[in-house]
Amino acid sequence: MLWKFYESHKKINLNNEKFVLKADDIIAYRRRKRGRRFFIYAFLLVIVFWSVKVTIIEDTDWERMGSIGKVISSAARFFGVDFNLFPDLLIPSLETFMISLLGTFLGVLICIPATWFGALNITPFKPITYPIGRLLMTLSRSIHEIVWALFFVSVFGLGALSGIFAIAVRSVGFIAKMSAEAIEDIKPGPIEAIRSTGANGFQVLIFGIIPQVIPQVLSVIIFEWEINIRRSAILGLVGAGGLGLVFFRQMNTFNFHGVTAVITAILGIIIIGEFVSHYVRKKVT
Amino acid sequence: MSILEVKELCASYSSSGPEILKGISFDVAENDFLAIIGPSGAGKSTLIRCINRLVEPTSGQIYFHGQDVTKLSLRELRKVRREIGMIFQEFNLIDRMSVMDNLLSGRLGFTGNIRTLFKAFKRKDIESALKLLERVGLSDQVDKRADELSGGQRQRVGIARALMQEPKLLLLDEPTSSLDPKISLEIMNLVKEMAFELKVPCLCNIHDVQLAMDSCNKIIGIQEGTKMFEGVPDSLNKEKLQEIYAMEVL
Repeated sequence: MLWKFYESHKKINLNNEKFVLKADDIIAYRRRKRGRRFFIYAFLLVIVFWSVKVTIIEDTDWERMGSIGKVISSAARFFGVDFNLFPDLLIPSLETFMISLLGTFLGVLICIPATWFGALNITPFKPITYPIGRLLMTLSRSIHEIVWALFFVSVFGLGALSGIFAIAVRSVGFIAKMSAEAIEDIKPGPIEAIRSTGANGFQVLIFGIIPQVIPQVLSVIIFEWEINIRRSAILGLVGAGGLGLVFFRQMNTFNFHGVTAVITAILGIIIIGEFVSHYVRKKVT
Repeated sequence: MSILEVKELCASYSSSGPEILKGISFDVAENDFLAIIGPSGAGKSTLIRCINRLVEPTSGQIYFHGQDVTKLSLRELRKVRREIGMIFQEFNLIDRMSVMDNLLSGRLGFTGNIRTLFKAFKRKDIESALKLLERVGLSDQVDKRADELSGGQRQRVGIARALMQEPKLLLLDEPTSSLDPKISLEIMNLVKEMAFELKVPCLCNIHDVQLAMDSCNKIIGIQEGTKMFEGVPDSLNKEKLQEIYAMEVL
C-alpha cells in the first residue's frame, strides 16, 4: 500500500530524482487511510443497527414475552427431567442410532460412483464424468439434512426410511470429496509397478489404489457417522423417524420436562457415538 | 536369438514437447545382461518404460519374441507385460500390504478379478512365493508389512515380486540408486545370480558405471536420447565415457 503511494509520488516527480519516504509522507498516507476506514466502520454500524431493528425490534412478540421475570420462568419450565418418559425413549433412541448407521452405510455405497467420477486421476471420461462427480458432492452438501428429509418424507412417506435416505444423501458430499482427494494424492510408483505385472484396471484399484487410501477413507466415514448421529436425532422433527419425533410430540403437548428428557437421551447417544468413533478411528489410522 | 529388438524408438511426453528418445535401436539376446548408462535426463528411464509401454513411444518398433509391442491392443499388452518383470528405483511396493501379498501381486496378470478381490491366489503361487522369499533371504519376513522393512530388504521383495511373474525379460530401472554402496553390490549380485539361474535376460538402467561394468556383458551409453556407445564392458574406455557423459571423467 505504501508502495503504491510512493509510486504515485514518483509519477509527479518529473525530474526523476531519487524519492525518499519522509515522516510527513507516512503521516499523510495514514491520514488518508484513516478516512476510508472511518467510512467503512460507519457503514458496518448502520447495517448492524438496521438488522437489529428489522429482525429483533420489529419481529419479536414483545407482548407475549412480557417481563424479564416471565422470560426466566418460561425457561425454568424446562428445568427438570421427566423420568417416566425414559422407557418410551429406548426404541426411538435405538431407531436414531440405526438411522445413522444405515444412512452412513447407504451413503458410502452412493459415494463409490461419486468418488470414482470425482477423482481427477481415475475419472473414466474427464470432460463429462468429473463435473458430474463434483456436482453430486456439491449438491449433497449444499442442501440441509432437514430439507433432504422433507424431500424424502414426501417421496417415501413418514418413517425411518426417509431419514435413512436423507442421511445417506447428505453424507455423500463430505465422504466422496475427502476420498476423491485422497485418491488424487496417491503415490504413482506402486500403481506403475502393479500395471507392469500385467494387471487390469480393476486389479490396479484393488492392489494399487485402495491400500493407499483405506485408512483416510475409513477415518472420514467414521467421522461422518458421528455427525450423522446428531443429524438423525433431529430428523424426526419433520417425520423422518427417531428421537426427533418424540421431541416434537413432547413440545406439542407442552410436556417441557419430557423435552428435557429427550434432549438428555440425544446427548447420551451422541456421547456413546463419540466414544465408539474415537476408539475405532484410532484403530484404523 | 534375440529376445528383444528395439528399432528406431522415439518418445516424448507431449506432442509439442521435446523428444526424449531420438531413434534408439538395440537388441537383447538370450542370457544377455545389458546395462544402459548415461547422465541424468538422458532418457534411460523413459527408454525402459517404453519397453512395456508404461510410457507410450511416439514411433519405432519394439519386438518382444518377434511380436511388435507398440501395435498391441490393451488386452494383448497386458499379456506381454506379465511376461516382463520390472524392478524399480523406489521399490514401488504396496506399503500397507504384507511381504507375501506384495509377492503375490506379481501374479495379478495370471489371476482373475474375483480371485483378486478376495486375494484368493492359487496354492502354487503361494508356494513359489515362499520359495523365492527363501532364495532372496527373507523367509522370516513373510508376514511383515512392506513398510517395516529396510531399503535393501524392500528391494529384495521387489526382485522377488518381479520373479514371481516367471518373466522372460527383466527390466531394472536404477535398482540400486536408493541404496548404499554395500547393499547396492549385494542387490546387483543377487539380480545377476537369479537372472543366470532362471536364464532371464536383463535390461538394466544404472548410473554407477563401475557397477554396470561389473555386472553386465553388454553396455549401451545414451546421451540426450541418442545412443552414443554400444559394446562389451571392456571396450568402454575413458574417451568413450567422456563422450557419453559429455564431461571430463576422472
